[in-house]
Order: sequence, then C-alpha cells, then structure tokens
Amino acid sequence: MIAVILIKVLIIVALVLGLGAFLTLVERKFAGHVQRRPGPMVVGWHGLLQPLADGLKLITKEDLFPSMGNRILYNLAIILALVPAALVFAVIPFGPEFSIGSISVKPILTDVNVGLLLVFAFGSMAVFAIALAGWASNSKYALIGSMRKAGIVISYEVVITFAVMGPIILAGTLSTYEIVQNQIQQKLWYIWVQPIAFIVYLFAMLAETGRVPFDIQEAEAELVTGFTVEYGGMKFGLFPLVEWYVEVLSLSAIAVVLFLGGWSPINIPFIGFVDPLFFLGPFSGFVWFILKLSALFLLTLWIHWTLPRYRIDQITQIAWSVMLPLTLVNLVLTAIIAPLIWR
Amino acid sequence: MVKRVFEKPLSLMERVLFLDFMKGLSITIRQAFKRTITTHYPYEKLKPPKRFRGFFGHKVINGKEPQPAFTEWVERFKIAVEPGKSRCVVCLLCKRACPVPQLFEIEGEKLPDGKRRVSIFNMNMMLCTFCGFCVDACPVDCLFQSDIHETASYSRKDAVLDLSTLEKIGKDWQNRREDEPDRIWADDNARMRLWYENSPKLG
Ligand code: SF4
Ligand code: SF4
Repeated sequence: MIAVILIKVLIIVALVLGLGAFLTLVERKFAGHVQRRPGPMVVGWHGLLQPLADGLKLITKEDLFPSMGNRILYNLAIILALVPAALVFAVIPFGPEFSIGSISVKPILTDVNVGLLLVFAFGSMAVFAIALAGWASNSKYALIGSMRKAGIVISYEVVITFAVMGPIILAGTLSTYEIVQNQIQQKLWYIWVQPIAFIVYLFAMLAETGRVPFDIQEAEAELVTGFTVEYGGMKFGLFPLVEWYVEVLSLSAIAVVLFLGGWSPINIPFIGFVDPLFFLGPFSGFVWFILKLSALFLLTLWIHWTLPRYRIDQITQIAWSVMLPLTLVNLVLTAIIAPLIWR
Repeated sequence: MVKRVFEKPLSLMERVLFLDFMKGLSITIRQAFKRTITTHYPYEKLKPPKRFRGFFGHKVINGKEPQPAFTEWVERFKIAVEPGKSRCVVCLLCKRACPVPQLFEIEGEKLPDGKRRVSIFNMNMMLCTFCGFCVDACPVDCLFQSDIHETASYSRKDAVLDLSTLEKIGKDWQNRREDEPDRIWADDNARMRLWYENSPKLG
C-alpha cells in the first residue's frame, strides 16, 4: 500500500514540476504567435529544449540578497509558494479507478472527504508566500506588489468559495473523486446548470494565479514584476513557475473536476455520455482529463495575451458588486432547485 | 463649437455576454494562426536601406569626387591628393556642425613638399547621436554614414573610429553600395516579407 502511495507521489511531483517547466515553453510559443513571432526557435527543434536551457541559466546565476532584507522570511516565501501549490495535486483525481492484477488503484493521492476544503486552504496559503516575499525583500516595488495581492485576496477568495458551493450542493459531497462520480451518475456536467458559477470561478482563478487581466501584483509595466523583483536566479524562476503554471494547472484541474465532469467524456445533459475516444479503452478517461485540462490552460493563456490589466479598485469592485451577488443568487437558486430534482 | 465624442457605453448584452472580451479574443486567435513576420536575426539579416545612418566612414579618392567643390577645397588648403586615401580636406566643418563636437579629434600634417593632409581623425561613437549633421556639412562628400549597425564591442576603446578604420569602411562601402539607386527601401526579399501585408497602393 505504501509502495503505491510512494509511486503516486513520485509521479505527481515529477509530472507537476516537469510539466510546469515545459509549460513555460508552451506559453512563450503561444505568446509569440499571438504577436506574430515564432517564439523560441534555437534550442532544439522549434525551441523544444528551451526549458532546459532556461533552467540551466537560472541555476548558474548569482544568488543576490538585499542587504536590509530578512533572510529567513525571504527563503521561507519560496517554500511557502511551492509546497501548497504542489500539495493541491494530492486531491485531484486524474482518472477512473483501475486495477493492476489484484490491486485496484485510484489515480488520486488521498481521497479525503474534505478534498475541496483542502484545495482552498492551500490556495489561501499561497498568498502568504507573496506577502512574505514582498515584506522580506525590503524593497518598495516588491512591497507594493505584495500589498496589492493582499488587497485583492479579500475580493477573489470570497467569490471563489461561493462559486464552488453550487457544484458542491449538486454533488452533495466535498470529496473530489465523488464529485466526479456523482456527475457521471447524474449524467450531467455541472457547467450546464452552473454556467455563472463557472465564469465566476474562472474570474477568481485568474485573480488567484496573477494572470492578466488581474496581474496587478506583477504588473511588469509599473512594478517591474512586483514581489519577485529582489529574487535572483532559480529563486526568481520558482515564483512564476508556481504562480503561472503549477497554480493555473491545479485550479484548472479543480475546475475540470467541479464543472466539466473530471474524466468523463462529452456529456449530453441528462441523457448520457458520448465518447469519441472509446478506442483508447481504459486510457480514455485519462486522455479526456488531460484534454479538458489543456483546454482550460490554453484559455487562460489566450486571455492573458489578449486583455489589458484592471486597476485594483476595479477588481475589487467587480468582485464585490458583480461577482458576489451573482454567485449568491446562483447559490440560493441551486439550493432551492437541486433537492427537488435529485432527492 | 466643439463636438464632444464619447465612447459608446457597453449595452447590457455586451456586459452580460462579455462581447468586448470576445472581440479581443477573436483578434488574437486569428493573428496566432497567421504566418510570423519576424526575421531570425543572427541567422537572417535585413539589408538596411542605403540612407541608413549607421557607423561612419571616409570615402576615398577614386575620381568620383563632387566637382568643382573638391578641387576648390584642395587648392585652397593645398591638400595632397593621393588615390585610395581619405578625401578629407581638414576643414573641420563636420566638427562645427556636430552637437557633441568633442567627439571629433581631427588633425592635419604638413608634408615635406609643403602640401597638407589629414593625419588624425578620431570619432568617439560613444558620444555620437547619429544625427547626420556632420555628413551634411562635409563639403567634399568625404564623411558619410554606412549601413554598419552591429556595433557592439568589448571595450570603450573599440568604439572610437580612427582614420584607417574610417577609410576601410569607406572603401568597403564604395565597392558594395555606392552605385545603388538612392532609395529609402532596398529591394530586398527579406524586407518584402516583413511588409508583405501592407503593399501600398499608389494613386
Ligand atoms: S552624427 Fe551628429 S552627433 Fe554624430 S558625429 Fe555627426 S554631427 Fe556629431
Ligand atoms: S567636413 Fe569632411 S572634409 Fe571637412 S574635416 Fe570633416 S570629414 Fe574632413
């Protein structure tokens, strides 16, 4: 049993960090083509080995530290950013249960019954990393950046919690694995009945991961990448890696679980599932999960490279005066209607 | 009477369905599937137009000097005319025209036969603004700006062009591009690729 768990941990850590590094290339390619440039082209075929070159460069760089900074907090911030973001993957179900020989394996690290609660607890911890990073570097740009992040936390954290409550009511459970199971049983992706919650979730996801249009804590035009400004080398590389890739991946995965039916194939509401990938047999679930995940990730990139940035007061205003009332109405309606249909 | 024009406020439909977002998103995705318009710089280089204002050179005496100006200045200053050497008549007009005159260091020398010629001509490119005033001032079409634009160097000293460098650049230029028609854009396929979309329609 422990061996299985260890293998799962290894696979997840390798996948998350390796994929995170590779996604930098995906993003640079995408950004390039949006702006009619080819992106990295030199290292490897069409720049395929660019992440390796970048990593090598970041590792060999000098490790600078601001003289008046706080070294303990400065280093703690990096750990605090990386660990919760990676831990979220512990409760993400990647596919249906399968069995090798006599052992049946759930492709989820721990199927705890408060999985979603854990996700949002970890998500809120990532904010501490940013706040600490800005405080510990003792630089005005870094501090402004982290204060801005702390400022918008109160807008999106509230909204995201209310947004996910709709699907939770429909599923009647907090366990991520069972939420997907319930969607399959009810023959319904929750996005069909919770479109507002889905949009609000996307909004909060962009805000949480510091993506455009809510990237005010980085704001490279005015704050020279904000809270990371005093970090150098790989320490600098870790922050965007965590924020822009690992967190986007984990939150997209949660969105897939909550709204898009996890590993289930294309859904026709209340009727059933159509699986054009049936020939993959037991792998089709995993492939569907990965397809949905990459679609959401690409959507994030697409939005990032299209829109301009909101001001902090505009973000707070949208969150509190538009998104929050919407989710509240959505929540009340769901709470009234859902029991009538399923219970 | 000023007519005030405001942006039209978003209608309710636009707000609810994020139509303005969609517009932006559709533009970026359409661009993403078009061909790229960049050149792969170190492997692929554009040829600058002939009028490009790059590093400087001294055109050398090859029988194509502007006449009668060149003969007049040579006679006035008793300049030694030697083919293959700089056309400079040490009039210092370039230094006069320059907004940063201290970047020039120009000296002449007297030969034993009483004639004169330029002996030192240093230009410190660290100070130059590449405005081209000196080129316009030169009465004998000696000083000019070439198409050399990759000018990074390892030390500040390398950024000072001395007389032999200037002459070398000048000879090279006269071989390569002197006879080209003086057009703003060179006929260059690489450049055409850059601008293939906006082929201008004249008339
Ligand atoms: S280009 Fe302008 S700044 Fe440079 S040397 Fe000539 S006159 Fe001086
Ligand atoms: S203006 Fe021309 S001829 Fe006169 S000193 Fe300068 S380079 Fe020589």
